[in-house]
Amino acid sequence: MTERAIRLTVNGVPREETTDVRVSLADFLREKLELTGTHLGCEHGVCGACTVLVDGEPVRSCLMLAVQAMGADVLTVEGVADGDTLHPLQQALMETHAFQCGFCTPGFVMSALALLRDDPGADEAAVREELSGNLCRCTGYQTIVEGVLLAGRRARDEGAVL
Amino acid sequence: MTDVIGARSVGARVLRSEDPRILTGKGVYIDDVVVPGMLHAAFLRSTVPHGRLLSLDVSEARELPGVVAVYTGADMASRSTAGIPGSAIGMNMMPGLNIPASYALATDKVRYVGDPIALVVAESRAVAEDALELIVEDIEMLEPVVTYADALDPSSPRIFEEFENNIAMTGEVAMGDIDAVFAKADRVISATVSVHRHQPVPMEGRGSIAEWNPGEEELTIHTSTQSPHLVRLLMSPQLGIPMENIRVISGDVGGGFGLKMGLFREDIALAVAAVDLARPVKWIEDRGEHLATAGQAREEMAEMEAAITADGVLLGLRMNVTLNAGAYPSDPFPGAMYVGSVSGSFQGPTKIEALAATSTSVFSNKSTYVAYRGPWATADFMRERLLDIIARELDLDPLDVRRRNYVHRDEPPLAMLSGQLFLGVTTQESIEQAARISGWDEFRVRQQAAREEGRYLGLGMASYLEAAPGPKNPNAPEGGGGGIMGDEVSHVSVEPDGSISIITQQHPHGQGHQTTLAQVASDELGVPFDAITVRYGDTQFTPFALVATGGSRAATMANGSVLHASRALREKIMTIAAELLEASPADLEINGGTISVAGTPSITLSLAELARVVAEEPDRLPEGVDRDLEGTAAYDGGMGGWSGGTHCCFVEVDIETGMVEIQRYVVVEDCGLPVNPAIVEGQVRGGVTQAIGAVLLEQSAYSDDGQFLAGTFMDYLMPTTTVVPNFEIHHLESVLLDPDVNFRGVGEGGMIVAPAAIVNAIEDALATLGVRVREQHLPPARILELLGTVPTA
Amino acid sequence: MPPFEYHAPDSLDEVLALLAEHGDEAKVLAGGQSLVPLLAMRLARPTQVIDINRVESLSTVAERGDQIVFGATVRERTAERSSTVRAQSPLLAEALPFIGHAAIRTRGTIGGTVAHADASAEIPCVVAALDGEVLVRSASGERTIAAPDFFQGHFTTALADDECVVEVRLPVADPSAGYAFQEIARRHGDFALVGVATMVSLGDDGLVADARISLMGVADVPLRARAAEAALVGAQPTEDTFVAAAQAATADLRPASDVHGSAAYRTHLTGVIVRRALTTAGARARGEQA
Repeated sequence: MTERAIRLTVNGVPREETTDVRVSLADFLREKLELTGTHLGCEHGVCGACTVLVDGEPVRSCLMLAVQAMGADVLTVEGVADGDTLHPLQQALMETHAFQCGFCTPGFVMSALALLRDDPGADEAAVREELSGNLCRCTGYQTIVEGVLLAGRRARDEGAVL
Repeated sequence: MTDVIGARSVGARVLRSEDPRILTGKGVYIDDVVVPGMLHAAFLRSTVPHGRLLSLDVSEARELPGVVAVYTGADMASRSTAGIPGSAIGMNMMPGLNIPASYALATDKVRYVGDPIALVVAESRAVAEDALELIVEDIEMLEPVVTYADALDPSSPRIFEEFENNIAMTGEVAMGDIDAVFAKADRVISATVSVHRHQPVPMEGRGSIAEWNPGEEELTIHTSTQSPHLVRLLMSPQLGIPMENIRVISGDVGGGFGLKMGLFREDIALAVAAVDLARPVKWIEDRGEHLATAGQAREEMAEMEAAITADGVLLGLRMNVTLNAGAYPSDPFPGAMYVGSVSGSFQGPTKIEALAATSTSVFSNKSTYVAYRGPWATADFMRERLLDIIARELDLDPLDVRRRNYVHRDEPPLAMLSGQLFLGVTTQESIEQAARISGWDEFRVRQQAAREEGRYLGLGMASYLEAAPGPKNPNAPEGGGGGIMGDEVSHVSVEPDGSISIITQQHPHGQGHQTTLAQVASDELGVPFDAITVRYGDTQFTPFALVATGGSRAATMANGSVLHASRALREKIMTIAAELLEASPADLEINGGTISVAGTPSITLSLAELARVVAEEPDRLPEGVDRDLEGTAAYDGGMGGWSGGTHCCFVEVDIETGMVEIQRYVVVEDCGLPVNPAIVEGQVRGGVTQAIGAVLLEQSAYSDDGQFLAGTFMDYLMPTTTVVPNFEIHHLESVLLDPDVNFRGVGEGGMIVAPAAIVNAIEDALATLGVRVREQHLPPARILELLGTVPTA
Repeated sequence: MPPFEYHAPDSLDEVLALLAEHGDEAKVLAGGQSLVPLLAMRLARPTQVIDINRVESLSTVAERGDQIVFGATVRERTAERSSTVRAQSPLLAEALPFIGHAAIRTRGTIGGTVAHADASAEIPCVVAALDGEVLVRSASGERTIAAPDFFQGHFTTALADDECVVEVRLPVADPSAGYAFQEIARRHGDFALVGVATMVSLGDDGLVADARISLMGVADVPLRARAAEAALVGAQPTEDTFVAAAQAATADLRPASDVHGSAAYRTHLTGVIVRRALTTAGARARGEQA
């Protein structure tokens, strides 16, 4: 029997679903839960587009089986904003014109969120190092890095909650 | 954004209306589209580069539970017509071009690693992939044709046996009196320079859903494309379905860079399956398929003989250009034809007096050659490399060589050898400004000091002109800036609630047209930016466009079209408002979506009220007043103008490891008036970043025996945050040629000029060690080969 | 991914029973950062996947005697943040940030990367450098395998089909020694072209008392440059000595060629970073900041 029932929390909502054991967490989120904000750019763990937070830590959701998320607390890009109000990180990324086509964007948002929650004071070198596991083909990264630094500054100086 | 009454939106760094959607995961890309009853497809692909397909047994795959159908080349031959790439728009008639006809799946031969052989349609993608493993193919291996030399060797097997050899295209060009310039030259310098195969690699790969409605006999294709109408135009003859019965829908597109500019063979196979099964069929390629089969670009080399003066002026050039076009030609722009652009676009801003070239494209057992951001980029690389080669050979400053070679505005020559006018060129200004910002002369002091410490710094410069769209010749006013791609049509209308809709033929995929087109309309109509919606992406309502978004067209063509359509609409609005307000149209103004009478601020009419009257009380308007509240403009590019500029790249090379660090990157560029400078700068940075990838990281590598070696993101390396520097971008004051529209394209400029700037910098760093660079791809291992540290592999 | 049966027992005994039952049909899933991509590309085809992440006893880092003991499922990220690792294994601490990216290290495990035995991976190289050992267990017993015996070839170890890695053990650092880990990759986070883990300790006479050079990416196992190490002992810790050691370390190398660089290039690079790493390690042994 390769179909399993799993329970997990996604974006604060408890979910109970069945899944084939050979389904990745990314496919499960996209197909079972219809959370298509998590994108698949390579399915071999290099591009970072599928990054989500599992129990607060950044994870490549293409490199984790859905069944392994049993009991986990998963945050995807859909769970970051507060209703129609962008999260301070998203707001900062919008203000710096961070992205273009948007395909890599969810992965960057999640990676950057993990980074800033860990260290809102991360400097440019630290941001560049941490985000080097996310590929973007459009922007040349500068505006993404600027947006993450802006969000970090606002968290430190203005108390924006990340 | 905050609206300031009277403030202009154009020219401001307006925040993108696309961003709330993409930042929250609400974009809808092709793999996010779900159609009820959808099946899933997977392709069996050749693992051998060249072979004869002797047999194909799909019986076991058909039996696997969950498999709905399996299609082979024979099925394609019985259910579709072989495609002749380019034929829908006459490209296949270009003189000297050989275009084979092919089905979506291999019938008799396989011609590269990844060539699709069979299509499995199943209830899930996983089952479809399981079934691929049950197909048994028998392929007789043929000698692979990989390199230029392989292809030109008459003893090599023919890839397409309907042709006499493996030549995909030949051509010649002769402009000016080449013998005369060689006769008067002080010296002749020869150089053979090559560009390696690399590829666009959008973060979203290809994908489509084909859906057949048997009642209406209508095919709907949901796909990730840059040109929705082009897809239906190209599909129609192969499927035998009239174009008007093919609808293409495309939502958010995760990057294209020229790759998604036409029709892919896979889409035909999907459509055949969808029609046959009368069920929707979805195919999303994986990254391995993408790298091996979606399309690759650039592989070109040029043997050059340059006639020069003793002070470094390039008088003229003989070129012999070869291009490796891979196997199946791209539809509708066969890669083989780009060989002509290497010589045809070589001149750029230089004053060369003559150019004579022969061009040859060859077929090989490699993936399809496709357009990639600035498909003529090799021309710019050859020219800007050659100027540095001349400088090095004559021991001149490359900046001085550029000063002597680039045209001065309004001084002879006033036109290129091709006849295109040098109207409004700012190349000389751009090199001076770039040199000043870069500290060109001071750098030499730093470079020398660093060398004494064993550190190798380099500075390279390169310049370009881009016809985006290019100036119109005032003496030949019939030639529009749209060129063969035609005019650009936009519809701008007032919705019943007073908001504005723009329907564009563009198909944005990162360029922010939902923002920039709304900026233009906002200013023209006096309507808040937020009240404007830009609609695109469904051929049922968008104007036909051969090329929707590509070729750096949008800045001039789409913005210009929206500008003029908005003006036409504004005139209609004012005519109606004048009737309703009993005022003269000349006395009316619109601000913030409200019409008022100048000098009488109490009398106002909102656009919403105006729209309501038109809809509900048309009798209040006299006969003869247009009441459709829609403005349309077909725009030809107006007087056009050049984009262009100069890039300066600073590198440090670790001569022990061969690693190159890009330390600083300066761009001085002229794209007319930017609609949104933040978006313009994003295009520049993105283009340069792809060039950094091309030079330092990216190669679509094949082994000598034709195996593809770059099938994962661990082999095909693209730039990351730690590779790319921050960019310094400076906008040059532009010469404006058109009374209304001076926005010029900027999508390709970064990618076409930066490879030369980077390579020039690397050679500059290593020149005192005897290094002379004649290629574009310089990974660390190659740097050490050039230094003689390790033997050439 | 190809079809497989999935098991996620919460005790080691159950894991071992499953391994005993399925043998080479089974693959142990720890962090999944190597196994899952192989599954996704259908390059690995186990019929059974045994997920050990629910075995709690495997997830701790502990100091035991003169060893740091890593349970098989200790995440690389956990090790990176461990004060024990920072204090007692500067070599491992220096190597960890080179492994992929944060999101990879969140899942990737010390035991998994050792069992996977990619000769261009960082942890096996460190384990080899420090003469670490691997505790493996099967339903019929356990054994401790020293690093040189454990790593046997490309993705090949001394692990029998029914055995599972339980612990990876590293000796605590010699406080008088200097350690240095270096690698050269095309981009930050990529698999290294070559890498090296080194240790230099100095005697009271200021001469090299002991040295370790462990190379990655140049052979089918993490490779100790034993001749070079031996030649270092008793030498002055000077630039010339380290240049000679780098030459010795690369003299017989036969690395593979690939799209990222030829064998000759890798051999050359190895010499460069061996010299650089030994220089750094030597300086650290003298208590200098480097």
